[in-house]
Amino acid sequence: MKKRSIVRLFIAVMIFLPIQYAVVGIVGEMHSEPWPAFVLPGFKNVYVSDDDLFQIEQKRFVIEIEGQPKVEILRPQDLFPELPLSQVPGFMRTHFSGRSDVERLSEEARSFLYQQASNHLQTEPLMIELRIEIENYRFVDGVPILESVDQLDRIPITLKPEYSNEK
Amino acid sequence: MKNRDSGLNRWIFESFTITPEGLGLLRILTALMLLFFLIPGGGTVHYHFLATLPADFYAPPPGPMMLFDTFPGLAIFQVLQTVAVLSALMILVGYHTKWVSLITGLSVLILQGFIFSVGKIDHEILVAVVPVILAYSNWGAAFSIDSFRKGKDQKNERWPLTLLALLIGFMMFTAGFPKILGGWLDISTQAAQSHLLNQFYVRERQDLLAELAVQWNNPFFWELLDWGTVLFEVGFLISIFRAAWFRFFVGIAVLFHFSTMISMNIAFLPNFIAYAVFLNWDAIYKSSHQWMMRWNRNNFRKSRKGVLISFTLMLVVFFALLNYITVHEKVITLQSDLMLYEVVLVSMAVVILLVGGVKCLGRSPRGFGTANSSSLHPLPPEPCNSN
Repeated sequence: MKKRSIVRLFIAVMIFLPIQYAVVGIVGEMHSEPWPAFVLPGFKNVYVSDDDLFQIEQKRFVIEIEGQPKVEILRPQDLFPELPLSQVPGFMRTHFSGRSDVERLSEEARSFLYQQASNHLQTEPLMIELRIEIENYRFVDGVPILESVDQLDRIPITLKPEYSNEK
Repeated sequence: MKNRDSGLNRWIFESFTITPEGLGLLRILTALMLLFFLIPGGGTVHYHFLATLPADFYAPPPGPMMLFDTFPGLAIFQVLQTVAVLSALMILVGYHTKWVSLITGLSVLILQGFIFSVGKIDHEILVAVVPVILAYSNWGAAFSIDSFRKGKDQKNERWPLTLLALLIGFMMFTAGFPKILGGWLDISTQAAQSHLLNQFYVRERQDLLAELAVQWNNPFFWELLDWGTVLFEVGFLISIFRAAWFRFFVGIAVLFHFSTMISMNIAFLPNFIAYAVFLNWDAIYKSSHQWMMRWNRNNFRKSRKGVLISFTLMLVVFFALLNYITVHEKVITLQSDLMLYEVVLVSMAVVILLVGGVKCLGRSPRGFGTANSSSLHPLPPEPCNSN
């Protein structure tokens, strides 16, 4: 490359980078973070309040099994063990953020979830429920202690009849 | 205007210097890092999982992956992986280095695109960016098949290193700036600590010193960490204008990632492929060559070959062993998603920084080597002693 072209390339990159960052910010607010982009994660959220209360949202899959009085509670990473752990919270946020997400799931997706649960538990699940909870921790003598758990929602994930019959 | 132009030119073309031999060693390390650890995806099991995911779960981020409606079949993943592996192998031996570097970057990028279409982006773009940018440095000018094919008078370019520094600096800034908006500098809350707790309890990243860190409830310490993180990430952008400053910030970055690894079990290994570019490769080559000269009774060519063979063999054996003990969980089993090879490599980076780097980090290698130096030029002077 000629020297002049390289200088022009640098000037173009220096103009491009802030513009793409602005685009990433705008699109990220409206939809989700674009990709590919020259950005690193901001981790801007602060999860702890100034009165030493620390809240975290937990999502669990509660599995009912025929003939078994006790339910099995699976973490998302149990249901999707092939997914890197770094992607699990994002995956849950995108596809299981609440009732509307679950209601939109196709029969194929529901069947897939049941199959994943079956693979993990080595038995056929009767019903899957998504449970969304907030765990409240408070620092006591420097150690975070679980103070309470608020249940936000319990969303049944049913199989459609044709899939139930197949199973 | 002229002065400003020449300042810009100096920054672009003279900030970083590296000889063909230094670039050759860097090329070998980069190729081996890709082959052993950084080709995206966890292999066939991960690809098979993605290939069988229903279309409902295909959530591409805004961008080119929206052109697809669902995940591709396993065969496509395997083709992409094969292309990435073969092209990385060709980078290793330096055959058509420029083109295979571009192909590696592209195949890595496409693989990442599909992997990130589950609804979560992992910010690993530097894995693709490094081979693409260094393709233009002519990093196949030494220790390569290309150097046999094209002769040994090839020139290498410095500006790709400056461009990479610019990208790293800007990307670091994008990590720091949202923290200011998000309240990291608010002294009434400790953001870094809250992230630690989130990683510990939600993602169950509880290896190494995570438990100890969770119980460390000193608001002053955590607030200091909040401010330090923001200043470091934002300041990275300013550091790109001086090689010595930039190398200093890269050193801090290594320590920063090490601390997040031991406390939050996040290693961010993909960044290290970019940080490694700014190691003093000429000094590494020079000291290894001097050692080989003693071994080979001052036979220059034989010593040069010795550096190539010993450096490559040492890395291959070490990486293969590291991969083996990680996959077969031979040494320790980590409960989180942190991999043993990440722990070892990031820790080694800290050791390299502390033992070998401290002396060189604060000093610019300006005047060391030349952009046009051919592979058979005499060895450059010791960089740590130059100003």
